[in-house]
Amino acid sequence: MAPVQGNVNPKQRQYEAMVRAHSADLYRFAYWLSRSETIAQDLVQETFLRAWKNLDALRDADMARPWLVTILRREHARLYERKRFDTVELDDTVPEDAAFASPERSGDAAQVREAMRQLPDKYREPLAMQVLGGMSCDEIAEATGQQPGAVMTQLFRARQRLKQMLGGGRASAEGARR
Amino acid sequence: MNCLDFRRRIGAEPRTRDERFMAHRDACAEGCAAFWQRAQRFEDDLDAALAVPVPDGLADRILLAQATAERRGQVGRRRAWMAMAASVLIAVTAGGMFWRHVDRASLPALAVAHMPVEMDSLAMTAPMSDAAVAAGFADRAAPLKGPAPAGVTYVHDCMVGPYPAVHVVTRMNDEPVVALYLPGTMSDADASFRRDGWEGRELALRGGTLVVMAQDGANRHAMDAVARAWRSAIEGPLPREVGQI
Repeated sequence: MAPVQGNVNPKQRQYEAMVRAHSADLYRFAYWLSRSETIAQDLVQETFLRAWKNLDALRDADMARPWLVTILRREHARLYERKRFDTVELDDTVPEDAAFASPERSGDAAQVREAMRQLPDKYREPLAMQVLGGMSCDEIAEATGQQPGAVMTQLFRARQRLKQMLGGGRASAEGARR
Repeated sequence: MNCLDFRRRIGAEPRTRDERFMAHRDACAEGCAAFWQRAQRFEDDLDAALAVPVPDGLADRILLAQATAERRGQVGRRRAWMAMAASVLIAVTAGGMFWRHVDRASLPALAVAHMPVEMDSLAMTAPMSDAAVAAGFADRAAPLKGPAPAGVTYVHDCMVGPYPAVHVVTRMNDEPVVALYLPGTMSDADASFRRDGWEGRELALRGGTLVVMAQDGANRHAMDAVARAWRSAIEGPLPREVGQI
């Protein structure tokens, strides 16, 4: 669908541009936060609705992505609070979304995704914020209320864990590439 | 920066372009450049792996949800405004109706409304005797306490709206001035009025209300003189104050 033109006010234009620029990355971040496509879509919808209501608070276009990530994390926390008593624990190793069966999830990428799914939240979240949100250690630290040094440690360990989980097969593949 | 710092940093921020970091990579002879290369490939793989497919039409669905919520909000706001406007309109209409009701029941309105059936009385010029004038007031149980003004050409007991009244016409400088005395009908204060071609005064007396009026264009002094004369006749001459000679 083409962007709405004509008598659209500047706020609406800004909002549409922001949705088109960031919705995909925000969805991916939401996916890795919740590990569910359905929840990720709901989270992104809610995040952008909240962003619309508070759009006047966004002064700098460069801050849009970290701002949205912060809103989304809050929405995710709220969702967790609301659904805490309704959810059923799932086996982390069971892929629950149809997209996992798609061809592009086969091979190397599938292994990385599976490893990522198994990362503890405290490692997975900052790693997703850095890789998908494009946030620096300082920005992640500010968003999560931690010290930058602690965030750097989490990111380091997140990658170490991933590499450990990916194991020798991947190490040998990397060796072959060298 | 040494090799350990470099490799720790690369584990946490592999995409950094920090000058000291890049300088070590370029200068190190211990394999840090190769370590950096492997880290970049791992990051490329990680980027690719985390880029899960985005559902078709996600952005459009987000915009639709926003537009729908905004429209719903607008409709709600419009309804609230319409309800408020309707409330104001009802309040103004009710206030207007109440004011008209109060106005129609006021003594000036009733006095003016009484006049169309009494217009012939304004044309009378033959003066009445003092006895006839006094009898007219006595009939309404409101005997005069002072002499009636000169030039009274008409006296009659009437109903002004629901109130019994003595209706008199006094000619002053050849102009008819109407006086309606409503015994027992009390007013709070004196007031002037002008309505439907009549100008007048509503005067609060001790035992009732005196409405004096003349048609627009009449001499105000004549009307004031008649009002003073009838006040004196109805209430009696003013008592002398202490010290007055």
